[in-house]
Amino acid sequence: MNPQEREAAGGLTPESAELVETYFARVHGALLVAAADECEETVDDLRAHVYEQLAGTAGTAADVTRILAELGPPEALAAQCADVVSGPAPSTPESRDGRSPLAGTLLGMPYELRVPTAERVAMRWWDPMNPNILVPRVFGLGWDLNLGAVAVKLCLIKPDDEDTPFESVPDRWLAVSAVLPVLMTLALVTLVALFQSALPAQVAVHWGISGAPDRFDSKESALILPVIMTLIGLAILGSAWLRRRPPLLRVAAGALAMLLCSISTAAYAQAVATAYGASDIGVLLPVMAAGLVLTFVMLVTLARIGRAAEMRRDLDGTSKKGSV
Amino acid sequence: MGNETDSRLSQFRKGVVELAILALLHSGEAYGGEIVERLASHPGLAISAGTVYPLLSRLKKSGLIDSVWRESPVGPPRKYYRLSTEGGIEFAAMAKAWDGVTDAMDDLLGEGAAR
Repeated sequence: MNPQEREAAGGLTPESAELVETYFARVHGALLVAAADECEETVDDLRAHVYEQLAGTAGTAADVTRILAELGPPEALAAQCADVVSGPAPSTPESRDGRSPLAGTLLGMPYELRVPTAERVAMRWWDPMNPNILVPRVFGLGWDLNLGAVAVKLCLIKPDDEDTPFESVPDRWLAVSAVLPVLMTLALVTLVALFQSALPAQVAVHWGISGAPDRFDSKESALILPVIMTLIGLAILGSAWLRRRPPLLRVAAGALAMLLCSISTAAYAQAVATAYGASDIGVLLPVMAAGLVLTFVMLVTLARIGRAAEMRRDLDGTSKKGSV
Repeated sequence: MGNETDSRLSQFRKGVVELAILALLHSGEAYGGEIVERLASHPGLAISAGTVYPLLSRLKKSGLIDSVWRESPVGPPRKYYRLSTEGGIEFAAMAKAWDGVTDAMDDLLGEGAAR
């Protein structure tokens, strides 16, 4: 309590003043928890206001209780103050997960240091309702690609075609998103089986911008990174299906597994091509691009199948075509 | 328009867009593109597709509106949105609260301008 407040509280019984102070101590505590200490001043003003109101009463404990009851529970009051000072929570899906110093912008570039959840990753990569193609990166500095916005921009789907992405897609079509990455893995395994023994002992594992290889390694070590990447993709995919995650998460896991597998395949295929005398990276980039396009086509196709299922549900009930 | 004015306006808008969508649907059902277009015709609201679609999704999840696919006289079927019973009640309550706010604001603003 500062001197003015002690003076303001002067006309009160110690019990009444104690009630007021306990109340505001709880408000301050809640503000600390909400990391909204810029509201402290507002709360001090409020306390002065309470003492002012009490000055017009007998200052009994009952008066204090009545006046404090008007303000509501201290935690609710703190939440209200925090809201007014920092503005109401924005309604875009982007910021749904609330404020945190671990996410924001740095020199105009977004950053994100919270551990990514599967939900957040999937929502950023496939968010047709958000018209921004570049979205803040799921983890780290910079931007990610929102493939949902790309599909909308290309007029392949409308933002609200599906109520919840992939939710209405029939199970057998959903399974395609798990089968495709497995098939791609088999293609990689076949490639390795065909060429591994014929490769020279040292192969290229990294290429410069010019296309010339700038790092070599033994052909066994060259396999380590592609194998690990592909296995990570398959592990995420397997866990999404075994744990029966929502369709969006299962499809996103499949898309991620496809991308990781296509990067692995591209790197290995390029190592083979370089060993066979290729002087540029004419294999690496097309294979990676093909993987990205295939993933995109799969996502759009599933979204359209989901839309068709929603339409069937709504339109079949009334009549077939055109008679409405 | 200064940056600060801009951000202040956007704070205003966020609270109002929800009511604007409910009001629009109160006058009859509409599809997404139509809602975006009709709200965009009020430049004062400065609403874009990026605001409308996430809000439609949220209103639908909270049960205030629902949606249904309907054949369109031109082109492919469209997803139409309409107020649910609950949404109608909520809209009436929000509209009433809004009237209270605008009356008070008119009063205060009028005082300032010494009308």
